[in-house]
Amino acid sequence: MNKQQITEFELKTLELLKSVMDPEIEINIVDLGLIYELYYDGDKKINIVMTFSTPACPLGETIISNIKETIKQKHPNFETVIDVVFHPQWNNTMVSEEGRKILGL
Amino acid sequence: MNGLKTNNAPNSSVVVPHFIFGAISFFLLAVMLFLSSSNLLEVYFNNKLVAITHMGVLGWATMIIFGALYQLIPVVFETALFSEKLAKFTFWISVFSVCFLCYSFWVASYTILLPYASLCMFFSLLLFVVNVLLSHQKSAIKNWSSRLVVAAIIWLLITEILGTLVALNFKFNFFNETHIHYLKIHATIGLVGWFLLLIIGVGSTLIPMFLISHELNKNKLKASFYFINIGLLLFILNGFFINVSSLIYINWLLIAFGVLFFVSFIFDSFKKRMRKKLDVGMQYSMIAIASILLPIVISSVLILRFNIQFELLSRITIFYGFSILFGFITTLILGQTYKTLPFIIWLDRYKKLVGKIKTPLPRELYSNRIASIQFYLYLIFIILTPIGVLLNQEIIVKLGCFTLLLVSVLYMMNVFKIILHKVKPIENE
Repeated sequence: MNKQQITEFELKTLELLKSVMDPEIEINIVDLGLIYELYYDGDKKINIVMTFSTPACPLGETIISNIKETIKQKHPNFETVIDVVFHPQWNNTMVSEEGRKILGL
Repeated sequence: MNGLKTNNAPNSSVVVPHFIFGAISFFLLAVMLFLSSSNLLEVYFNNKLVAITHMGVLGWATMIIFGALYQLIPVVFETALFSEKLAKFTFWISVFSVCFLCYSFWVASYTILLPYASLCMFFSLLLFVVNVLLSHQKSAIKNWSSRLVVAAIIWLLITEILGTLVALNFKFNFFNETHIHYLKIHATIGLVGWFLLLIIGVGSTLIPMFLISHELNKNKLKASFYFINIGLLLFILNGFFINVSSLIYINWLLIAFGVLFFVSFIFDSFKKRMRKKLDVGMQYSMIAIASILLPIVISSVLILRFNIQFELLSRITIFYGFSILFGFITTLILGQTYKTLPFIIWLDRYKKLVGKIKTPLPRELYSNRIASIQFYLYLIFIILTPIGVLLNQEIIVKLGCFTLLLVSVLYMMNVFKIILHKVKPIENE
């Protein structure tokens, strides 16, 4: 995601999502690079385009619930729409500097 | 959502009983081995050793694999299990059959109990095979991992058919050759066709997933699939119809190449892994994959013989079986238990609570200290016991078996700690 193109609200939401962990890899989903796009329409609707580290990720549903619940706790009246895509396929170049440190890369 | 298949996981009540019975069987296996450790120094076909082997391959390894496979079918096939009710029914039939079968061997009741016990076992395995094959039928995924799993399931059925026929032969005596001839085929198909192919199929999905490695050469799995299956088919044809002793070298080469392709696939995954530090589960798994090479080397000695005396050759045969059941299969299962069971329980307890309360990590559901001690004790067991067998030293074998007993107790403690985990209501920060 190009941070210059998103609003301050979107940046704060992205920061908020750093509390959502991938329980297996033990890194938050933002630093892991699973969030491809985050867009706020200005009318209480947040759209997220994201991926998983593998298409059949057994934790996918749990991660989605966690994202929705985390946003709901902060913004109770907001709707979160999540679109899961596998193109482009997630790879290690998508991991942030912070994530790379945790993984020991 | 495109291609998201995460709603297919079965209810934990389908999977968890397999881990409980598996852990109990592992403990019973260790007790049986400790009580009859001297049998490891006798000729390999003795009733105690056969009972121990079946407790190991069916009560321990196959039961854990059944449970894990029910959980992993959504991952490998990307579809739900065909029937959860059938899986639960199969579990109870299997528990009864395993106990019945092992008891029949233990008391050497080859003509009275064994034929009925083997028919029960056949029926329970058949139910499992039907459930998995029908799950695969509704799956859209047809990759090499899923093909390897399906092939393994079919080999399991063939193994069981042959095993049942051998058991019935004790009572009705209809085979031309001695039962040892058919038992060798039964054991080879079971170990290579069922366990090895299944581990390759599931491992080729799970290990790269846990190591976080991508862009692996799937052609190696394809090669592994063809080499091992052709090797096994040839082995059966030779055993039943052709009977040319020199063909065994070609069998060995084909299966060895198949194994090497898989090891090479995992080695690539290991080199490309994003997660550099291996947890205790992956330490076990990597040792298991490396140790797969040992039975290949030992089996070459058994085939070429090198004029080794019968007594030593018999002990090498036991070492060969040990290297597969403990060096490879048990090591892998011990490791993968720490990767899969905490997730199954974590998902069951916290799936609906994530984001609402602070949740522990799956690895925090078990004691890492117990897992580490268990790991080092297990290393002592797999080193000490074969040394004792090869040197014909009962005291060393006994000591090795005692460490396995400790391992099984520690393993059971952690398995129950995970299964009995209760949600602690901590408010989210």
